[in-house]
Parts: sequence; structure tokens; C-alpha cells
Amino acid sequence: MKITPKEYATGLFYSISGKNDDEIKNIVNNFVNLLIINNDVSKADKVSQVFSSLWNKENKIVESEVTTSNKLDAESQESLKKFLIKESKAKEVIIKENIDKSILGGMIIKYNDKILDRSLKTKIKNLNNFIKR
Amino acid sequence: MSNTKDFIIEQIKNKISEHKADITIKNTGKVISTSDGIVKISGLSEVAMSEMIEFKNEEKVVYGVVLNMEEDNVGAIILGDYSKIKEGDEVIASGKILQVPVGEEMVGRVVNPLGEAIDGKSSIKTDKSYPIEKIAPGVIKRQSVNEPVQTGIKAIDAMIPIGRGQRELIIGDRQIGKTAVAIDTIINQKGQNMKCIYVAIGQKKSKIASIVSKLEKNSAMDYTTVILAGASDPASLLYIAPYSGTALAEYFLDKGEDVLIVYDDLSKHAVAYREISLLLRRPPGREAYPGDVFYLHSRLLERSCRLNKENGGGSITALPIIETQAGDVSAYIPTNVISITDGQIYLEPDLFYKGNRPAVNAGLSVSRVGSSAQIKAMKKVAGKMRLEAAQYRELAAFAQFGSDLDQDTKAKLERGKRLNEILKQDQYSPLLVAKQVLIFYALINGFIDDVEVENVMKFEEGLHQYADMAGKKVLDQISNGEFNEELEAEMKALISDYKATLQ
Repeated sequence: MKITPKEYATGLFYSISGKNDDEIKNIVNNFVNLLIINNDVSKADKVSQVFSSLWNKENKIVESEVTTSNKLDAESQESLKKFLIKESKAKEVIIKENIDKSILGGMIIKYNDKILDRSLKTKIKNLNNFIKR
Repeated sequence: MSNTKDFIIEQIKNKISEHKADITIKNTGKVISTSDGIVKISGLSEVAMSEMIEFKNEEKVVYGVVLNMEEDNVGAIILGDYSKIKEGDEVIASGKILQVPVGEEMVGRVVNPLGEAIDGKSSIKTDKSYPIEKIAPGVIKRQSVNEPVQTGIKAIDAMIPIGRGQRELIIGDRQIGKTAVAIDTIINQKGQNMKCIYVAIGQKKSKIASIVSKLEKNSAMDYTTVILAGASDPASLLYIAPYSGTALAEYFLDKGEDVLIVYDDLSKHAVAYREISLLLRRPPGREAYPGDVFYLHSRLLERSCRLNKENGGGSITALPIIETQAGDVSAYIPTNVISITDGQIYLEPDLFYKGNRPAVNAGLSVSRVGSSAQIKAMKKVAGKMRLEAAQYRELAAFAQFGSDLDQDTKAKLERGKRLNEILKQDQYSPLLVAKQVLIFYALINGFIDDVEVENVMKFEEGLHQYADMAGKKVLDQISNGEFNEELEAEMKALISDYKATLQ
């Protein structure tokens, strides 16, 4: 039977939970050997992807991406973090910042599968559509 | 001039103040793969079945509908141009079940299944939209069918009557006059307090153009909407077309109006759905149709109904059309739709090529509820006439062998021949019920027995003209639905008077 990347990742995740560093090292070694034996090394990329999203979910870590037209100052960064923690009910938020002049102003926040588009560009576009109707 | 300028600026200001920017958190996903109008999307974690999704694109927003939800991806169909959607494109869930705009503005227009005008006239602005999928009205809201739909076609109004709220299937081979029956019915709804919707699924656009011009010529577009998903449109549009037509019908139904909706044709609809299902990798069943083709049509046709007074009293009458292959009514889709509808009008190639047009086969056609919806006078003459027709059919098959026939049989055969002549009717020439009653009355009472078979049509035409001139009162009385001995005597007198003018 074929083992899917998701099955590999969940297996790995549950076998290392609650173990100390030395044990984890051992388990990871075994895991890599298993991949080699099963001829599934090509799936390693996918496995690590699924594993990290699983890890984030279990530990309530949210990765988010914020696009702004200008760099955020420390204060707004802090309030953004608070906002995201409140919205996504996570314990920890990792923010990746992008700067894109073309959105004109405001910001676009992405986290998990969600998007909050408060850029000036989108607002103008919506207003344009509304007037045209 | 400054006045108008100020006016325009004022308008714009008002519009802008009306505008409310919606700033809600939306679900997104990414396109994994796209092919043949089907997309696989990752993400979209909280999306619902048949929810509308938007594909972010540079110029135009393209919509899609979620049809499949799997463990780690979502399958959707694209409504419209799918050539510009790329792998990795962003998809946004709208949070709404697929809706189409509805309203009075749709009447007299040709639109696509998404409610956009395609007749070259101004774009349609409506402030209402209805979901394309809706649960059919329940038992409590309904009422039995008791009002007629006058098709204006003699063979149908007399033998296979249709009532408001009924679902009557029109079935037959290609090129045999299925659409003609439906279009004649639409033309005859003028002044009958009926909104008509013609849904063309997978039809040639040239055919629709000629139908629309015919409808315009007969001023039938004043109360008709044409919804067109042409043969060159993607299967996704063909799939939603009948549902979007029904959504429009339900708008009028909710206002308490009567609606006639024609689905032309549902076999192409089933084929479009099969295409989508196979591309979505749903398992194929009989004739490669997916397991839920029956539900596909039953949930559509179940939305036709007659509501009771407390719920507005409107109705949706459905005339679905099915094309058979070489007269095979026992194929999968025909049997499905036959069992869903309240009867069928079966058009037969043999009759068509013999010149009996419309080629309605009276033996195989039935109407399960309609006769309770006929007007009184029609009920009276049609009952006798149906019997004559049945006897003629039986004898005609029999009489081919023997030449020695008794007087009685001969008379029956002769009358049958004349009945056949009367049932012939040209396209685009629907006939008033009152006139139908008159000619049938003349037949069953032997007024036509001494007219040569070749001359029956001429005789009929003359009778109608004579009745227009001299018998207005009689015709009105018949239309009003009364039938008594007095009226019968008047009809008799009218017909004999007419015959006297012939000699």
C-alpha cells in the first residue's frame, strides 16, 4: 500500500510528541531510513510541508502575511499582532511583511485561508464598480 | 449647462455616500489545477456546497461554483471564460450560494444564464437576485391544477390538455416539431395573463435568433424572456441554465403570477452535467451518466407548482423537452423525465412524414391532470372526440386487409379521416379555444361528413371566418366556460348557416 505524505507527517508528529531531543533525533533518523526503504524520498518535501502546518495547528501558531504600501512602525506592528491573535485565537503569530506600492494605502492581511483586504486600491475599485452599476 | 453639471455631481455624491465598503474577512484558496472548465482548489476551508467563488483576475471577475469537496481540495466549475485562469491564482469565497438577478426588467430580453443581456440592448439593472437552487414548495402550499393553459394547438388542447402548474413533457426525435409546439404555446399566451420563459440549452444560436424574431413578430416578446446557453458555451453554463430560468419564474410566482417555462432541451442538459461529473471524477453509471441525474431533473421539475390562495395563487407550468434517438423512449434520460412529469406529448416521425403536423401521437400521449383544467365546453366535445379518434385508429389498422365493410364501420372510417384533417395545423397559427370547440362540435355532430376530405381544411378556415363575422356572441359564450342546451342550439344554427352559404 502507498503511504501518503499526510500519513507520513501525522505519524511522525505523533511519534515525537512528548519526547526529549535525543529521542527525537533517533526517531527522525529512523523516519528518514523508512522513507529510503519505502522509496519515498521524493515525498520528503511534501511531508515537511504537511508536518509544519500540522505542527502550527497543534501548537496554535499562525503564520500570516501582511502587505502594506509603506513599512509598518513598531507600534502598528504590535497592534496588528494583537489583532491577529484575537481573530485567529492563536497563541503565537508569525508575521511576514511585504511592501507593495501598488496597493496605494491601507493593508492586506492574510492568515490561514483567510484574507482581509483593506487596501485603498481595492476600495477604489469597489467604489468604481458601484458607481458604474 | 451648469445646472446639468451640478446635477451630475450631486448624483455622484449621492451614489458615493450610498456606497458601503464591505470589510469582512474572506476565505481564500489557490488554484491547484485547471482543465476543461474544472478547477481544483486548495484552501477555501469554510466554503459551502454550490457557493459562488471569485477568481481574481486583472480585467474581469470570473465566477465559479463549488461542486465537489474532498479531503484536501475543492472542485469547482467556472462560469464563463476559463482560458485566463492559471495555476496559483487566488480564489475568494463570496459566502453566497449562487444567485442570479431577477426582475421585471428581464421580460422581453435575451439573457445568458447569469442574467447578463446578450441581445445587444442596454445592460439589465435589477435590485433583486434569487438563488438558483431552491427547495420546491411543500404540500401545504400547493393546490391541485384547475386552470387551463391554452396551447392553441387543436390536437393538444382537446386530447392532452395542460393545466397551470402542470409539468408536461414534449418528447420526440430530432427535427420533428418539438420546439414548434413550445413556441406556438408561447405565442398563444398573449393576453392570457401568463409570463413565459424560454430556456435554450445547448441550442444553435441561429435557431434562437430566428425564434426570437418570430416571437417579436407575433408580439410575444412583450411577456417572454429567453435564457440562452448556446452550443458554444461551456458545460457549466448549460448546467445552470434551467435552474436560473426557474429562479426567474419563482420571482413571478412569488408575486402571484402564472408562469410558463420551456426547457429546450433537457437531454442536452443531462449531457452537460455528465461532462462536468466525469471531469470531476465522479463515478459513471448507466450510459456514463452520474448517479444523481434523476435528482438533477426531479429537483428542477418539482419546483413547478400551483400555489393555493394563501400563498399567492401563482403557478409555474413547465414544458420540458427531451430529444430521443430513433424513437427510443426507453433510454435512460427519457424514462427518467417521463416518470417525473405529469404526462407527455409524444411526437412521432411516421405521422410527421405523412403530413400530420403537429405529429402528436394521441395514443401514446397522456396528460395526468389536465382534463380537470379544461373549460366546460371543451370537456364536452373532447370526450366524444377522443373516443372517435380511438375507434378510428383501431379500425384503420383493421380495414387495411378487408374491403367489405359494413355501413357503420365505413362511416366511422370516413369521420376519422376528417378528424385527422382537422387536427392538422400550421406552425405559428394557434387557434382560440372557442373556435376549437366549434370545429370539434361540427365534426362529432356530423356536419362535416358530407365535405370531401381534401376540402375539410378549407371548410374549417371558412367556418372560423364566418364565426368571426356572425358568431362573436357564441364564441364569447364558449370562452366564458359555460355550456348548455341553448348554446348548443346556437352553435348548431351557426354551423348550418355557414354551410348554407357554401351551396
